[in-house]
This record gives sequence, C-alpha cells and structure tokens, in this order.
Amino acid sequence: MIKYVLVVLLSGVVAGYANNMWGSVLVDGCVSYLFDAALLFLLFLMGLTFGLDREAMGKLRRAGVKILVFPCCIAVGSILGGLVGGFVLGIDVVGSMVVSAGFGWYTLAGPLVGQLFGAELGVLGFAVNFLRELLTIVGVSLWVRVDKYGGVAAGGATAMDTTLPVVVKFGGNDVLMAAFLSGFVLSLLAPLVITVIASVR
Amino acid sequence: MGLSREQWVVMINLVVLVVLLVAGVLFGCFLRERKQVNLGKVTFGIVLVLIFSLGFSIGSNDELLGSLPHVGLAALVISLLAIVFSVFLVMVVRKLVGFG
Repeated sequence: MIKYVLVVLLSGVVAGYANNMWGSVLVDGCVSYLFDAALLFLLFLMGLTFGLDREAMGKLRRAGVKILVFPCCIAVGSILGGLVGGFVLGIDVVGSMVVSAGFGWYTLAGPLVGQLFGAELGVLGFAVNFLRELLTIVGVSLWVRVDKYGGVAAGGATAMDTTLPVVVKFGGNDVLMAAFLSGFVLSLLAPLVITVIASVR
Repeated sequence: MGLSREQWVVMINLVVLVVLLVAGVLFGCFLRERKQVNLGKVTFGIVLVLIFSLGFSIGSNDELLGSLPHVGLAALVISLLAIVFSVFLVMVVRKLVGFG
C-alpha cells in the first residue's frame, strides 16, 4: 500500500512541476476541485463502510462509554506533543498542533492541512503523520512496554487498519476492540479538529 | 457573528462533511441486507486521488520544493513527541479510570 502511495505522490509532484514549467496548462484550481470532490466522496464511503458492518454498532455499544477514554487521551496527547514540538523547534505552534492532529492518518492530514493552511504545512502534515505510522510499527515493542495499550496510543487513527495487526500482536488480543474503536473515533476527529482549528485561527 | 468569509466557508465545509458521513452511515444501514460490495478498493482509489492532488500542489510550488530538506527533522521531532505524549497520557489515565 505504501508503495502505491509513494508512486502516486511522486507522479503528482512531477505532474505539478511539469505543469508549472510549461506555463500552467492545467489551472491549479482545477486540481483543488478534484481534491474537494474526492474528500467528500471519501467521507461518505467511510460512513457507508461503518453502516454496512453488521457488527460495528453492536461492538460500540458493548464496549461502553469507558472506551472513549482512549481516543480522548490520544487526541489530547498528540496535540500536546505538537505544542511542545512547536516550542522545541521554534516554529508556529498552531501549525505544529494542526499537523499532529492528523493522528497518523497521513493520506488525510497532508492534503487537508495543505488545503487549509498552505502547501508548506501540508508537507509537514504529510511527513509527521507518515512518520507516526512508521514509528508505531518500528517501535511497537517499546510502546507496549510503557503500557499494554501503548501501541493503540502510538498508532492513533491508524490503529483501526494499517497498524492494527502489529498493535494487537504486541499488546495482546484484548486490546483489539480498544484499538479499532479508538482508531475509528480518531479518524472521525482528525478532519474535524483540523478544520475547527482552521476556523478559529 | 464576526466571522470572515473564509471562516464561513470552512464552517460550511465542516457541516457538509458531517452530513455526508451521517448520510453514508444511514445509507449503509439501509443497504445492509443487499449483496455485499468491497469498498476497500474504491476507498483506496479515492485516497490515491487525494495524494495525487497533494503531490501536484507540492510540485507546482518552487518555494516549497526548496524548503523540503528542512521538513524532515521537524517532522521526526513532532511525530515522536505526539506518540510519547499519547502513550504516557493513556498509561496515566487508564490507571486512574481502572480500565483493562
């Protein structure tokens, strides 16, 4: 999957560069409409996938409200990490908080932050969240040593799909439900938090 | 309210996103009894469209391309801190709440 992502990203960069060199054959606005349409369709599809899943609703009800502790802590922790990172690096703290509010979902955070805050932060958003997924997989044995649910916390939004197998393998079978639901809630929160910060800025 | 035009646009976008998501869930519940379709490939295709348009906006921005080498270290610092704070907060709060 990451292979396809890199190839498409790279061909997008080449296409954009070539388009710029040859005097904007394609207008930039045209690509941004394409982006908007794709994002709206993606959100609808995510809802559809959840609605189609016979067990998803039941799982949510059985786990109870307590399970929301995980996504809440992870959301607050991620944004706090972004805040501290902004201070350490001496960059705009709102920007560093926004990129860490992608919670690891780099395919969303990169383009969305880029759209709302400019392409430069978009690149940082892509890189931060891409690295988060990578560091979750690479460092999972370390995260679960701190806490059994450490892998769930590190994975953020990716704990429901890409990092789920690793997180469960190292944390134990009983973290499965927390991982999926936490990842799901964070996937919903990521676009909301990013757009809310953009609207109050 | 004292919102600028741009802020209104962002807020309306937000409402549209939530409405579409809820519509998706309801539509999914409605279709549940029908033949199952594999949406994973469609979702991934759309994600690729998003990534292509991100690449396009990076590639057509000369200033940005020059700044790319600086982004790596900042990204590493921010992502590591985000992970570490998340892990420790989960550990502390889980003990307070008594989960698991």
